[in-house]
Amino acid sequence: MSLSYKPVIWNKTKLIYDAVMLAGIFIYILIFLRLGPVISSALRDTDLPIQRMRAFGSLALLMLTIVLAIGPLARIDARFVPLLYNRRHFGVMTAITAATHAYYVLGWYFSFSPTPQLTALFTSNTSFTSIAGFPFELFGVFALVILAILAVTSHDFWLSFLTPPVWKAIHMSVYFAYAAVILHVALGALIDRRDLALAFLSLGGLATLCVLHLIAGRRETSADAAASKKAPEAPWVIVGDVSEIAEGRAIIGMAQGGERIAVFRSKGGLSAVSNICSHQNGPIGEGKVVIGFITCPWHGYQYRPEDGCSPPPFRERIRKYRLRLEGSSILVDPEPLPLGTKVEPLAILAELSPAAAAPKNGGTV
Amino acid sequence: MQRRHRRAHTVIWTGIAVVIPIMLIVIFASVPKLPADAPAVRLDATATQGDKQP
Ligand code: HEM
Ligand code: FES
Repeated sequence: MSLSYKPVIWNKTKLIYDAVMLAGIFIYILIFLRLGPVISSALRDTDLPIQRMRAFGSLALLMLTIVLAIGPLARIDARFVPLLYNRRHFGVMTAITAATHAYYVLGWYFSFSPTPQLTALFTSNTSFTSIAGFPFELFGVFALVILAILAVTSHDFWLSFLTPPVWKAIHMSVYFAYAAVILHVALGALIDRRDLALAFLSLGGLATLCVLHLIAGRRETSADAAASKKAPEAPWVIVGDVSEIAEGRAIIGMAQGGERIAVFRSKGGLSAVSNICSHQNGPIGEGKVVIGFITCPWHGYQYRPEDGCSPPPFRERIRKYRLRLEGSSILVDPEPLPLGTKVEPLAILAELSPAAAAPKNGGTV
Repeated sequence: MQRRHRRAHTVIWTGIAVVIPIMLIVIFASVPKLPADAPAVRLDATATQGDKQP
């Protein structure tokens, strides 16, 4: 969490994540350059710099496709959540891989041109009115610029400097970068030659990503639409029954049109907090209580159940909500309390406690 | 805040899912084809009738 900013706060999970990623990159490039020419005669007929350019170009596209699939996959199946943890290193490596591709392009395609390489890149093809002959390189440049901006602003310093809503909005431009890469590949390599593998990677990847994102989006929208039942005394809502929450877990409720609220059960008490993590808006209610702290499933930021504050020296805070029990029904006032308000956990009466042994629901929506 | 974010997501991905395939179809459909009487042996595989030489 943010106390002071270090370039990267390393831990074992991040090291393993990065090691696996770097090994994957190394193996891909090795296989492409060693095995590629053996399998594909078209690749054998090209020079090494072009092979390298293609190896890094296709790897950048593969990595961009994977990094964009992680988000919706984690929403659809919790087993993918660990991939989210260090997604930003994945994104930065994608930008570096794409830049390496562009470096080989510049070094080869334009190295014999009388004009400087960068000038040649922008002036050698000016068929702006042609469709199939459009200078596809420009789409690559556009995508690379976006990837570079995102890589530079990926650090938590920028997240808190720009505030999460602005930062998230900027980072959503990665989707436009992806669209530009698809056009870059279609107008460039796919028109140029029949490359089945590349067609599969670009067009198959596009179809997969669209389906994943739209499925994940639909689920979230229907969860939002199924707001909690209204309690007799408005604006309170009934979020569920005590027996639905396992120890250390939460259920999620919300008022019509409101933000989601997570009700955690821990050590015989209930606490209601905002479901939105102050780090990157992760779904706190899908996390659990770890040594007394509500812990976000995405990157592990922690909050005290009673006041929603991170333990010192950290300063993150999330909102708290008022809670009431009616029998075993849990009622929440969807009006948030001011940040930092302390509300002691609501004690669960002893006769309701045994039900916790057989929770019906792990706490997800 | 999250609701707006989700709505933006849905709009963007619906847009990509509709617009990019249409653009791809237009692109591939507009690739110049070799005329039926093109010579069998050519120096370049893609240049066709009507392509302007610089
Ligand atoms: C300054 C930016 C870029 C330039 C100048 C550039 C230029 C090129 C050129 C000249 C080609 C060869 C096309 C052909 O074979 O006809 C190419 C191919 C390719 N580029 Fe880029 N590109 C850039 C950025 C990117 C980015 C950001 C990505 C992906 C994230 C990317 C992915 C690809 C792929 C997948 C190919 C096809 C590789 C293959 O032939 O197997 N490019 N690019
Ligand atoms: S979103 Fe990063 S820890 Fe919650």
